[in-house]
Amino acid sequence: MPSICLYFEVHQPMRLNRFSVFNIGNVNTESTYFNRQLNQEIFKKVARKCYLPTNNLLLELIHKFDGKFRVSFSLTGTFVEYCEQFIPEVIDSFKELFKTGAVDMIEETYYHSLSSLYDELDEFEEQVKMHSKMIKKLFNYKPRVFRNTEAIYDNRIAEKVEEMGYKGIITEGTEKILQWRSSNYLYKPINANLKVLLRNYTLSDDVGFRFSAKLWPGHPLTADKYANWLAKSEGDIINLFMDYETFGEHHWTETGIFDFLKHFPGEALKNKHLDFITVSEAVSRFEPVGEIDVPWAISWADADRDVSTWLGNDMQIACFNELKNIGKTIKEQGKKDLLSTWRRLQTSDHLYYVSTKGMEDGDVHKYFSPYDGPYDGFINYMNILQDFKHKLY
Amino acid sequence: MRVAMIGWEYPPFKAGGLATHCYGLTRSLADKGVRVDFYMPKTKHATGSDKPNLNIIEVGETEIFPYDRPDSKELAGQFFEAVYKYNDLVVSRVKGKYDAIHCHDWLTMKAGISIKEKTNTPLIITVHSTEYDRSGWLYPNQWFIDIEREGMEKADRVIAVSHFTKRVIVEKYGINPDKISVIHNAVYPIPENHKKDIVLFLGRLTIQKGAEFFLRAAQKVKDYEPDTQFVVAGIGDMLPRLITQALDLGISDKVIFTGRLTEEEVKHIYGISSVYVMPSVSEPFGITALEAISAGTPTIASKTAGFSEAFNNCLRVDFWDTDEMANKIISLIRYKPLHKTLAQEGKREIELFTWDRVADKTIEVYNGVI
Repeated sequence: MPSICLYFEVHQPMRLNRFSVFNIGNVNTESTYFNRQLNQEIFKKVARKCYLPTNNLLLELIHKFDGKFRVSFSLTGTFVEYCEQFIPEVIDSFKELFKTGAVDMIEETYYHSLSSLYDELDEFEEQVKMHSKMIKKLFNYKPRVFRNTEAIYDNRIAEKVEEMGYKGIITEGTEKILQWRSSNYLYKPINANLKVLLRNYTLSDDVGFRFSAKLWPGHPLTADKYANWLAKSEGDIINLFMDYETFGEHHWTETGIFDFLKHFPGEALKNKHLDFITVSEAVSRFEPVGEIDVPWAISWADADRDVSTWLGNDMQIACFNELKNIGKTIKEQGKKDLLSTWRRLQTSDHLYYVSTKGMEDGDVHKYFSPYDGPYDGFINYMNILQDFKHKLY
Repeated sequence: MRVAMIGWEYPPFKAGGLATHCYGLTRSLADKGVRVDFYMPKTKHATGSDKPNLNIIEVGETEIFPYDRPDSKELAGQFFEAVYKYNDLVVSRVKGKYDAIHCHDWLTMKAGISIKEKTNTPLIITVHSTEYDRSGWLYPNQWFIDIEREGMEKADRVIAVSHFTKRVIVEKYGINPDKISVIHNAVYPIPENHKKDIVLFLGRLTIQKGAEFFLRAAQKVKDYEPDTQFVVAGIGDMLPRLITQALDLGISDKVIFTGRLTEEEVKHIYGISSVYVMPSVSEPFGITALEAISAGTPTIASKTAGFSEAFNNCLRVDFWDTDEMANKIISLIRYKPLHKTLAQEGKREIELFTWDRVADKTIEVYNGVI
């Protein structure tokens, strides 16, 4: 009897201001890097369309099913900062959800960064600790399960996450690591004592990506149809992981996404052999059925399911190296005042916008990007990094 | 299928993208088994075809230069008269049975209409630019507009070189959008050469092409990248003003005006330039951008250019935003990974822009009216 493990990623990046080469060396404060107005606008819009109504609906559903409907969240640090600055009610509603006992919180890096790919993992560890501190402060809770930025995962990361005391880690259920095996079980990293939860990407993307795709044979996806698919699934656990913005933002209200969510728990629970669990419950309840060996980093991004989304071309690699070198200098010189700006610039979205991948992935990149294409994204980000370098000396 | 195509320029005589288009299109059509008779004015240069399906027919001499803008009443009178004469000449020379008549731009539209009416043959018109484009949307000349409108109205089908141009045809000429097909241009790739620190403008020096904005951006780049050379290639009525402008901006030591270039020289300059800028005020398509990119030269194009609606791997600016134009030029010079990625990805995308594809789509249009 498979358990349904529903988990949502909640993240908003700090988008950058237009910054031309003529600005390099000519601005006094780094706060001019970030486009506060745009970030506020987008945050308020998404809060209105997604965060507030979805939180309300989830709360209603948890009460209606007496805690049998359960979900997990990971909130990034940048997201929480927006809540505090612009709409504190959003964070209050997450607290209320958490209080029901049917909601779990997941750990990650505070800045949703690529620090897990640096040569040393000290910065990664610091950012995870910052996140841990934030969750402790907000929810008085210590998460047991970790999910790295966009589920980036390799053996080295697994080892580090175990060392930091987590019991479970989330990544993508890709054939690259599973071959013939099913994602509907827990696995163990070849080199660490940790339980790995693998995203069932077909069933997750049916909602996350395909819900409103009229050409998809599954369209229209109704709660009972979807619950039926889940009921027919084999294994211990069905991991349905997606962006929280799926509800009301990626798919607008008019697509019926909220009706779907409203009816989904009831339809699923009609099947006696299905139940809902949080990620912590999953690692307590199930044992690994096999090992996974991941020497090269995977992720849940794009069709490639690797890190080429952020490091797939020369421009992205140049920015990434620049960013790493800046960090090295900041730490060597002990310039603590520059640390938080450096970290904000590490949010993976800045590199995501510079991706030149074509075809269907490119469309997704375009949807999220505040720039007119990857080249503008590169110029703007690189100009800012160059200006930031001026502040180091 | 037999097509009478009526143009006014054909390589090696060439004043704009129209010649390039006619050359690529007729050759690819001929390869696909369409028999094309291409009618054009007699030129001083020898021209011809090595393909059995394709005949180049020179109908007679004319003094008309299609991009001339007659600026006095007297000159205008002579100009218009020459145009009518030439059209009459074309009508008298086009003989035989054709499945379709295909005209390019305003100059031969009158002839196209007469032949259509006389022989009851479907007429297709390709719009490479409108009077609004050529005038840079300042003081468009009603005489040209009227000819263009009549041609578009009487044509069975209109081909626009971009959605941008289709919109102009619908909004300014009141043509039914269902009658208009968009077919983007193509390019015969130009070889890449050893790159030098050259930022290139190449085009007619007319108000439409926006060379003045190129010079203003050059001045902004100069202090930041002093080793960079700017080249303005081409001729046109703006040349004296542009030379004066370069002096006034204090950049005459950084800018080279090449005058008219031969086809070989054009290829060479594309090949060795590091950045190509197409700051057109109004640009229905902009084949030069495809040419530059095919030679491995990253391109900054006007946002409204038809080319940039169809092409991903380029940089886009508002033609008047010379700060942003300079920002992008400097970035391309400074940031090698940007230059390399744009050059590589651009060349890859260019492979989609073939005359073969243009010919296929044009045949589809022919089939729709025959």
